[in-house]
Amino acid sequence: MLAAAHDSGAAVALLGGGTDLVPALRSGERVAGVVVALRRVLELRVRGAGADSLTIGAGATYTDLAGWSLSPGLARAARVVGSVQIRNTGTVGGALGSARPAGDLLTFLTAADAEVLTASPRGLDRQPLPRFLADGLAPDALVTAVRLARPGGPQVYLKIGDRQAAYPAVVSCAVLVDRVRHRLTCAIGGVGLLPARMGDAERYARDEVDWSTGTVSPTAARRFGDLVVEAAARITPALPAGPRGSAEYRWHAAGVLAGRAFARCLHVTAPPAGVPGGPAGDSAVGGQP
Amino acid sequence: MGGEVVSGGIGRSVPRPDGPEKASGAFRYAGDLRVPGMLHARTLRSPHPRARLGRIDAAAARRLPGVAAVVTAADVPGVATYGLIVADQPVFAATEVRYAGEPVAAVAAVDAATARRALAAIEVDYEPLRPSTDPEQVLAADAEALHPAGNLFREIDIRHGEPGVDGSVVVEDRYVVGMQDQAFLAPEAALVSPAADGGVDLRVATQWLHSDREQLAACLGIPENLVRLTLAGVGGAFGGREDVTLQIHGALLARVTGAPVRIAYDRVESFLGHPHRHPARMWFRHTATADGELVSVQANVVLDGGAYASSSPAVLANAVTHAAGPYRVSHARLRGVAVRTNNPPCGAMRGFGVPQVTIGHEAQMDRLADALGLDPVELRIRNAVRPGDVLPTGQVLGAPLPARELIQLVAARPLPPPPPAVDVTGLALPGGLPAAAEPSRVRRGVGYALAYKNLLFSEGMDDSSAARVRLDLTDDGTPRVRVHSACAEVGQGFVTIAGQIARTELGVEQVVLAPADTAVGSAGSTSASRQTWMSGGAVRGACVAVADRLLARVARAAELPAEVVEAPRRTLRIAAGQIVGVEAGLRIAIADALAEGPIEADYTFHHRRTTALDADGQGDPHVAFAGAAHRAVVDVDIDLGLVRVVSMALAQDCGTVLNPLSLRGQVEGGTAQGLGLALMEELVTVDGVVVNPTFHDYLLPTTADVPDLDFVAVTEPQPDAPYGVKGVGEAPTCTATPAIVAAIRAAVGRDLRRVPVRPQDLVDLPTRSDLPRSDLPTSPHLPTRSGVAPAGGASTA
Repeated sequence: MLAAAHDSGAAVALLGGGTDLVPALRSGERVAGVVVALRRVLELRVRGAGADSLTIGAGATYTDLAGWSLSPGLARAARVVGSVQIRNTGTVGGALGSARPAGDLLTFLTAADAEVLTASPRGLDRQPLPRFLADGLAPDALVTAVRLARPGGPQVYLKIGDRQAAYPAVVSCAVLVDRVRHRLTCAIGGVGLLPARMGDAERYARDEVDWSTGTVSPTAARRFGDLVVEAAARITPALPAGPRGSAEYRWHAAGVLAGRAFARCLHVTAPPAGVPGGPAGDSAVGGQP
Repeated sequence: MGGEVVSGGIGRSVPRPDGPEKASGAFRYAGDLRVPGMLHARTLRSPHPRARLGRIDAAAARRLPGVAAVVTAADVPGVATYGLIVADQPVFAATEVRYAGEPVAAVAAVDAATARRALAAIEVDYEPLRPSTDPEQVLAADAEALHPAGNLFREIDIRHGEPGVDGSVVVEDRYVVGMQDQAFLAPEAALVSPAADGGVDLRVATQWLHSDREQLAACLGIPENLVRLTLAGVGGAFGGREDVTLQIHGALLARVTGAPVRIAYDRVESFLGHPHRHPARMWFRHTATADGELVSVQANVVLDGGAYASSSPAVLANAVTHAAGPYRVSHARLRGVAVRTNNPPCGAMRGFGVPQVTIGHEAQMDRLADALGLDPVELRIRNAVRPGDVLPTGQVLGAPLPARELIQLVAARPLPPPPPAVDVTGLALPGGLPAAAEPSRVRRGVGYALAYKNLLFSEGMDDSSAARVRLDLTDDGTPRVRVHSACAEVGQGFVTIAGQIARTELGVEQVVLAPADTAVGSAGSTSASRQTWMSGGAVRGACVAVADRLLARVARAAELPAEVVEAPRRTLRIAAGQIVGVEAGLRIAIADALAEGPIEADYTFHHRRTTALDADGQGDPHVAFAGAAHRAVVDVDIDLGLVRVVSMALAQDCGTVLNPLSLRGQVEGGTAQGLGLALMEELVTVDGVVVNPTFHDYLLPTTADVPDLDFVAVTEPQPDAPYGVKGVGEAPTCTATPAIVAAIRAAVGRDLRRVPVRPQDLVDLPTRSDLPRSDLPTSPHLPTRSGVAPAGGASTA
């Protein structure tokens, strides 16, 4: 049907939850001759678990994910997206389709080495998330699902924005630990146009973590954050200057978030005094006037 | 006054009559109005902050099926420009556009999508010119005039005491305030219908029907009596509806097409369409004696008025006359300019120039306290003004203004418990639910601010308010009061208060409000904390006149002596639906007294006269003031610069309280809007272009951001106001911002000179030279697009 609509020459828009599409159609930012509503395609809403992997249908909502015990990190990322209304209607497919820099899910999926499954008249296809985001979706194709590895250890998703209530992320960070494969992955969102992996920091972690105990030294947490700041400053293409946060602040915040996420995923051997991003062992709260 | 037992009178927490509808979603806002056969209008706006305007070719747009009309500057039959104070703003740009977002043309079509397509089909030749966006440069001798009227809207120089007299302790600094938007939730909307008599009828969400009418009539080139306005449901205003926006465009299209026209903005257009709060650049120098007595204050305030005047001249007067704050000072030199730039126009917003200077003078008072080794509360108590003091304008401060008491009261409120060492939910720490904050890296700060804010229009303005009150019987013979006022209800609660006043004065429970429209005299603007005082005063005056006539009628009917008929209140009074004369042994139901016919009276309320400022900034400019003091407690994650406002306490000088519930709504709203300015609300412009005109990028505080308000009202009556009221909505907006900024300053130990405070202002940032690579861009505002990720480095692929 998608192919038929496409062949007819009409501009086709795929409607998932509509949180991006409906406002865009209303404002005239997007024009569609045909809207294909996907909500009732139940196959797209399936979530499944294999021996090593999790498959999430493109029609799964944030609310679906937020309660999913098989992927606590993803659940955590989904839980802090927008408002209840947005979480109830916004979908995984929409997050991939719109690829907004502030998209919480993209940061997590980038750290998770996710694969995107698509369907088109040419058949089924599957590609790594970065390639999918770089190439974009073919006009006659549909995202059917996203696939990622089963969690192999602690996963932390952190983001910051400009208020206490629901906010679009200014900077986001996902850290995923695989205790089995002795591997740690880290992605930063909100610095580049798309989330970026922190390769140097990941390699540093691989060598510094004591994988037999899952512990790490306090200096390692700090060094991990510093490496992320350096890597964040090199992300290209960078997000254009916007109203919220200078580039330098976003690099800095990426380092703090990464350091904290790192420390929360691993056991830090001793609490370092006054180290930014140090573990939550120091309960003293100063500054009380 | 009578009616001591009538329910729903003044002093009670009477609920809003429109409350249930607003809470349930049934209330009809201006944007909800529809009539059969109406056209949909949209406005074409300049993308350039400054450009010479060449040919506008609308032929293709007009040819589109469904397009009814396209209008441009050439189609304005009357005066080509409009404005609240000075008519310097073109209805449509004719020769030059002066800000990004300036209207160039408007279209009416059968539906909104067709209208949008028509806009895209209009060809406009712009010759971009270099915009002037730095308010400190536009007055330079070699600066180009951005408008035939020049770049200076107004300059004020207040000289008080002796020049050059200083105390031994000196603090001096510069402060910057960003551009806040009113961000009311219901965007601009009107439904305009052409009338058979050649006139036009508007149902519009506005703050001042009669000012709109005057400007509409002038631009349409028709007499004012042919322009009739009725207030449509208003979803917030905060000053943002004082200026005309879409009214004239809609009326032009309705008259050209002969059809009703719905004109309504979406959120982006709302952000571009109305004037904002003035960004300010301020310099202050405070001096004090070694024991903490303020000796002199110098201030220099630059307000960026943007491309057109709007209310800049009046905002500047407020900013400069309040620049020293509510403090006794013997010597002051307070100067200010409001200037024209190619930034978006700025005008009225809650606080009207006072929030900006309060941010400055309160930062200075804290700095002074630091320099003196004094507690900031103690320094304020020592220097707070008292009634009878001479202000820098020479005006003698009237009573009441309990400034000392306010700061003492707020300082005495209990403090909240310390921040949690472990936060399971994430909600109790800076940053909220995503739980990025680290409890061990959270620091607490407490800050104070004290301010006063003028009430009503100033500088000799006689902004009177008229009301008409009619007392009659319903079909079933029950007495009923009908109040007719043009007062714009924008959420402040006049619809509640007017009923309370009528019940109190006339002892009648049933009160109806006629729609606010231009069939009755002007009520003046719903701004400047003035409507409860001014239109409340008008309603009260009209009610008293009705009551007098009613009592005289009863006295005549009872054949009481002529002197009683002349002055019936000496022996008769109204009490709960009856007219009672104890001496005369009289007791008559109001319903019976109305049997011979209804009674109607008009009343126009004027406040006391003030005077303009002379060349030295001296005069008696303000009718009265209201004081407020806030204490803010914040927690800051010192690594991320995230701020959570933990508690807000407010003590406010409220005059007599007519409705405690309504008062609470006003002070909570004022506090929230001040919090927004402190932490997040800023329209950011880059070379004159607003880069965040959406609620995705312009964040408002929500219930998760604003703590419950610990509020203490000081209720000393204002002598010359009806019932002793004071306006209450603005003063807390002025103090909330600087109190929060002071608390953050205390938490992080940094001088903060810019508002809103951004996370990046609270942390040590990496500089590019700290980082290993050298080919990085040099300006944070010019992000790289050409940089190459090094091998092994981060990549987006």
